[in-house]
Amino acid sequence: MTTPTSAGGPPVDAEAGAGVLLPGADSATSGAAVPIGARGSGQLADVWRRFRRNRLAMVGLAIVTVLILLAIIGPYVTPYNAFEQNLANTLKPPSAEHWFGTDVLGRDLFSGIIYGCRLAITVGLLTVAFSLLIGITLGAVAGFKGGAWDGVVARFIDVFLAFPPLVGAIVIVRAVGGGVTPVIVALVVLGWMTTARLTRGQVLALREAEYVEAARSIGAGNRRIVLRHILPNAIAPVLVYSFTSIGVVVVAMASLSYLGIGVPPDVPEWGRLISQATPFLRVPGMTYLWLAPALAIAITTLGFAFVADGMRDSLDPKLRGGN
Amino acid sequence: MGRFILRRVVQAVLVILAATLLIFLATFAIGDPFASSGEKAVPPDIAAANRAKFGLDKPLPLQYVIYLGNMVRGDFGIDFEQHRPVAQMLEAAIPNTVRLALVAIVIDILIGVVAGVIAAVKRYSFWDVLVTVIATLAIGIPVFVIGVVLVANVAGWGPFPSVPRSFTVQVPWYQEVLLPAFTLAIIDAAFIARLMRGSMLEVLRADYIRTARAKGLSERTVIGKHAMRNSLIPVVTYVGVSLGVLFGGAIITETIFQYNGVGYLLSTAIVKSNAPVIIAVVIFSVVAYVVLSTIVDILYAFLDPRIRLN
Repeated sequence: MTTPTSAGGPPVDAEAGAGVLLPGADSATSGAAVPIGARGSGQLADVWRRFRRNRLAMVGLAIVTVLILLAIIGPYVTPYNAFEQNLANTLKPPSAEHWFGTDVLGRDLFSGIIYGCRLAITVGLLTVAFSLLIGITLGAVAGFKGGAWDGVVARFIDVFLAFPPLVGAIVIVRAVGGGVTPVIVALVVLGWMTTARLTRGQVLALREAEYVEAARSIGAGNRRIVLRHILPNAIAPVLVYSFTSIGVVVVAMASLSYLGIGVPPDVPEWGRLISQATPFLRVPGMTYLWLAPALAIAITTLGFAFVADGMRDSLDPKLRGGN
Repeated sequence: MGRFILRRVVQAVLVILAATLLIFLATFAIGDPFASSGEKAVPPDIAAANRAKFGLDKPLPLQYVIYLGNMVRGDFGIDFEQHRPVAQMLEAAIPNTVRLALVAIVIDILIGVVAGVIAAVKRYSFWDVLVTVIATLAIGIPVFVIGVVLVANVAGWGPFPSVPRSFTVQVPWYQEVLLPAFTLAIIDAAFIARLMRGSMLEVLRADYIRTARAKGLSERTVIGKHAMRNSLIPVVTYVGVSLGVLFGGAIITETIFQYNGVGYLLSTAIVKSNAPVIIAVVIFSVVAYVVLSTIVDILYAFLDPRIRLN
C-alpha cells in the first residue's frame, strides 16, 4: 500500500557524504558534548555546530541524556523499592518522604516513575534496534536485488502496514503472551516497515551511483558493495527516523499498558500508573496520581522528537528552507 | 487509469485477506477459551458442547474458511460472553465511531489548515513561531495524556457531559462527541498545520505565484485561490489516511471517554478475552483502513498523473 505520503522518504544527498556524518549523529544521541570536529572531519563539525545552534534540539539532547542516565542508575537512587506495597499508606499526596505521593497500593510514585523510565528506555531502544536490523536488512535486499525480491518485500510491507498499529500490537501481544518481551516483539513486528521502505529507497538510488560502479569495476562483491559502500551512505535518514520512533514506541507501550495489555499489572509502567489513576481522575486534589507519569511520557516523547528534528535539520540544512 | 485502479483494488483485497488470516491465527493461538482455568472448573462435556456451539471443534483452516464465508454474508458469529450476534454489536458501534471520526476530521482540518496558512504567509512572525511550537508540542504529547487531562479538568463543565452515556444517562450525541473528537483532533491538527505550512512555503516560491502577483491579483486571491489549491494536495492525502485510522476505531480515546464506538468495543472485548468480537473489530478496522487508503491512492493518482505511470 504505497500511501503517497510515504512514497518519498526524506531526501538525502549522497554527495554530502551522509555516511561520514553518521558518527556525528551517534555522539549526539549519546550526549557526548565533545567537539566532534576534533576527529578531523569538517562536515561533522558543521553538523554539530548546526545542531548546537538549534535551541530545541539541545533541550531535547539534555532530556534524552538525563533519561538515559536515570535508566542506568535509576534503581540505585530510588528512595524506595518501586514494587513494595504498603497498604497502610495508600493514596498519600506528595510529601517530604514521598515526593510524588503514593498510589492505590501504597507504592512510592517517585520510585515507580524512575523504574518506569528504565523500562521505557530499555523497551524503546531494544524495539528500535531490532526494527532497524530487520528493516535495513529487508530494505537493502529489496533495493539492491530488485525484481522478485523487491516484490515480496513490498507485499510484506503492505500487509503489515495495513494493521492499524495499536490494534495489531494488541493482537500480537495477546498471541505471544503477557510480559515485556511480547510487547517488544509486537512493536518490532509492526515497526520495521518504514525503516525498510526508507532503506530500500536509498539503496535503490545509490545502486547506480558512480562510486558503486567503480567499486564493482575493481571486483568488489555484492556483499561488500552493500555493506561497505551503499549502506553507510544510505543510513542517515533511516537513523533519524528511528530516533523519532523511540518516542513512538514509548507511547505505544504506555498505551498498551493503559489498556491492560502486555506489561504485568504489578509493574509501575507509566501507562499502567495512569490507568490506575483513572478512577480518581475527577477527584479534586488527586492530580498527583496521574500528573507525574503523564508528564514523564510527554517529556520523553518530546525529548526524542526534538533531537530527531535537530538531527534532520543539521544533517540536511536545505530542509530548513531558511534564507 | 482503469488498470491502475484494478491493480490497487486487487492489492487491497489481498492485503485484507492476509491480514484477516493473521488475526485469525493470532487470536486462536491464545488458546482454548473454554478450558478450565484457575478456580473456574469446566466439565469436559460442557467445554465440548461450547466448542461445538462456536465451531471450534473443526480444524483451524476449515474454521477460517467458514468464518470468511459467513463474514461475506454479514455474519460475524456470536460473542463468548453473552452470546449476542457480533454483527449487531458492530452495527451499534460503527455509527458512533464514524460520527466521532468525521467531527474530529472537521475540527482538525479547520484548525490545521488555518494555522498552517497563517504560519506560512506570515513566516518567521510571532504567529509562525507560535504555531510551530504548539504543533511540535501537540505531536509529542501522546493522545491518552491529552484525553486524561481533558477528563480530569474539562468534563462536566459547560456542554461537556461528566458521565459517559449509559442506560440511565442520556446525552445528546453532539455533546458526547465533542471532547473525544477534540482529543483526537489535536494531534492531527498539529500534523496538518506542519504539512500545510511546508507545502504552502514551497508553493509560494513557484513561478505561477509570481505571475499571479505580477498580473496584479490581490494578495487574497493569490493566497486563497492559487496557492491554497496546490498546497492542499499533501493535506488531502494525510486526511484520507487519518480518516482510515479513525474509522477503524480510536481505541485509546474511546476507552478514556467510554465512548461507545468500535474502539471501546475492542478494548472491552480484550479485557474479557472475547475472541469473536476481537476478530470482528480488528477485521473491520483493517478493512476501513485499507479501503480508505486505497481510495486516497486512486484519488492521488487521478490528481497527479506521474504516479500511475510509474
